[in-house]
Amino acid sequence: MKKYISYKNLINLLNVLAQDYQVFVPTEAKNGRFYKKYSADCGKIVIGEVRAVEPLKSFFLPGRERVAEDFKPDLPQKDDRKPYAVVGVKACDLKGFKVQDYVFKDHDFEDPFYNKARQNNLIISADCTCCLESCFCIALNLKPYPQESFDINLSQVDAGFVVETGTQRGENIVKENFSLFEDAQDYMISERNQQREKVTGEIKANIKTQDIPQESLYQGIIGKNYQSVLWQDEAKACVECGACNTICPTCHCFLLYDQKDKGKMMRLRIWDSCMIKDFARVAGGANPRERLWMRLRNRFEKKFDYFPKVSGIYACTGCGRCIAACPAKIDIRKVLKRLVDGR
Amino acid sequence: MADKNPYRPIEAQVLDVIAETPTIRTVRFKTKEEVAFVTGQFIELTIPGVGEAPFTPSSRPSMREAMEVTVMKVGRVTEFIHKLKKGDIIGIRGPFGRGYPLDEFKGKEILVVGGGCGFAPLRSLMYTFFDMSGQFKKLFFRGGCRTPKELVYRNETDEWAKRKDLNFKLTVDNGDESWKGNVGLVTTILDDVEMDYKQGIGVVCGPPIMMKFAAKKLLEMGFKENNLYLSMEKNMSCGIGKCGHCRLGSYYACKDGPVFSYDKIKNFPNIWD
Ligand code: SF4
Ligand code: SF4
Ligand code: FES
Repeated sequence: MKKYISYKNLINLLNVLAQDYQVFVPTEAKNGRFYKKYSADCGKIVIGEVRAVEPLKSFFLPGRERVAEDFKPDLPQKDDRKPYAVVGVKACDLKGFKVQDYVFKDHDFEDPFYNKARQNNLIISADCTCCLESCFCIALNLKPYPQESFDINLSQVDAGFVVETGTQRGENIVKENFSLFEDAQDYMISERNQQREKVTGEIKANIKTQDIPQESLYQGIIGKNYQSVLWQDEAKACVECGACNTICPTCHCFLLYDQKDKGKMMRLRIWDSCMIKDFARVAGGANPRERLWMRLRNRFEKKFDYFPKVSGIYACTGCGRCIAACPAKIDIRKVLKRLVDGR
Repeated sequence: MADKNPYRPIEAQVLDVIAETPTIRTVRFKTKEEVAFVTGQFIELTIPGVGEAPFTPSSRPSMREAMEVTVMKVGRVTEFIHKLKKGDIIGIRGPFGRGYPLDEFKGKEILVVGGGCGFAPLRSLMYTFFDMSGQFKKLFFRGGCRTPKELVYRNETDEWAKRKDLNFKLTVDNGDESWKGNVGLVTTILDDVEMDYKQGIGVVCGPPIMMKFAAKKLLEMGFKENNLYLSMEKNMSCGIGKCGHCRLGSYYACKDGPVFSYDKIKNFPNIWD
């Protein structure tokens, strides 16, 4: 039996969760939705609508993080921080998780910082109730509502949410706070389904009008266009700011940066961008990707060739953040179309 | 691994700094915790508060009392490394990656081709081979450098030249009055290597352009692609396949290499760039 929670009771639930978690919610701002730490005066909370401006990775792979201090063997972070509970996470960002988990958690060496941040955290996801012009998740075989990788999912219906649990942890939270929930009525479920269909239709319309190719056509697109002039052409306006990388929920590359802090040696890990000239340059001076277009090609190669080859996942969620962020208006949808068409 | 911090350097103390050439120095150091490596693996050397850079140790892996790296002055961190003095404190991370598959070399004929500062990792490999003396059918070393002045480890290589278990030859691109040996690229001193190329092991290490031509030559001579080992220099940083800097096709050089057999990487575009 699916559950239902009213908006008022959801707030009550957040208050309960705040005792054990650092609760973050998407809040409304002029130019989009931004995560804020939940409090009574954190602003207008938006559970539905669309993805936040910041990618979900910001919580688990922060843009700037201390990873070593002097030669101390223990991790520099103190253990007293509560785990994160991130609320209102959208389906595209949950796919971003998959890529980050693959890199930092699920194969080869485990990254202790990422893993620690991922431990015991709570993901309360939500259906999208509308879409942006730049959303194309369905082209990447996603749906605009979460189907996996959440503890609890919320689907907005009139004055509250249909609740679904995806893990034992989510299940336990519902059980422990049973008085805040009621049984979902059939009409609520059908309202949820209608809503889902409506948003799906909107994104499909996006994909159709903008002629965005479907993931099933991506196989081999990098190899067959490796020598194409389209890379030069597309990279022409790039100003090498790296925004497309840092805003991307799947980009994981970082830089280790050392500095002195009050006589102590401090090592920071900072988001890095493969669009920046020296990214792959070796100390001897050789640079395998000297030109901007080579770096643009590499960015696409990593997402649409390397990742599917090693992990079976295309490292793009269709979130459209890089489209919105790029001052040069380089548009991944258009690049994908050109790659698939081979022109 | 989960509770250990892979980004933390281990403290080490500089025991000695040897000037090999005006731009190349060997730093000998001792780590506070034991760091054992397989020849071909690399470490990250930290100058506290400044930064770190990757190096393949040039010392004999079986030598436990100290470790050495041979460093050419090419950038910010290496400039600091060149200023190191006895007693200075540095940091070490690693070893990272995969070294040479020594077990597969046993009982075989081996040709080692090195160029430029590529000597540094090969010194460690050669000492490993000397430790294993008798376990190989034949051992050849062919090394090349631009000028005699740039040749490192001259005292040691003079000793290598006398060894019975090694056929050793050096060449320089441009000779001078003191130079009595061969003049020309390293690919010009391979013709007298007498071995069964089809069954032999080839090891190539050096600057990209030298590796490209040496690898091509060895393949022409008949070495099999899976018996040709290349040490790929990439911009290594984290050492554990996370930071993304060292990608080579579908590998990360830091964890899947830096030593690769040619068949593994030959289909990736632009491997020599
Ligand atoms: S590449 Fe662009 S659209 Fe794809 S996940 Fe990254 S930011 Fe989103
Ligand atoms: S956001 Fe646009 S301009 Fe900036 S690096 Fe990426 S492609 Fe280039
Ligand atoms: S050095 Fe970081 S991925 Fe290889």
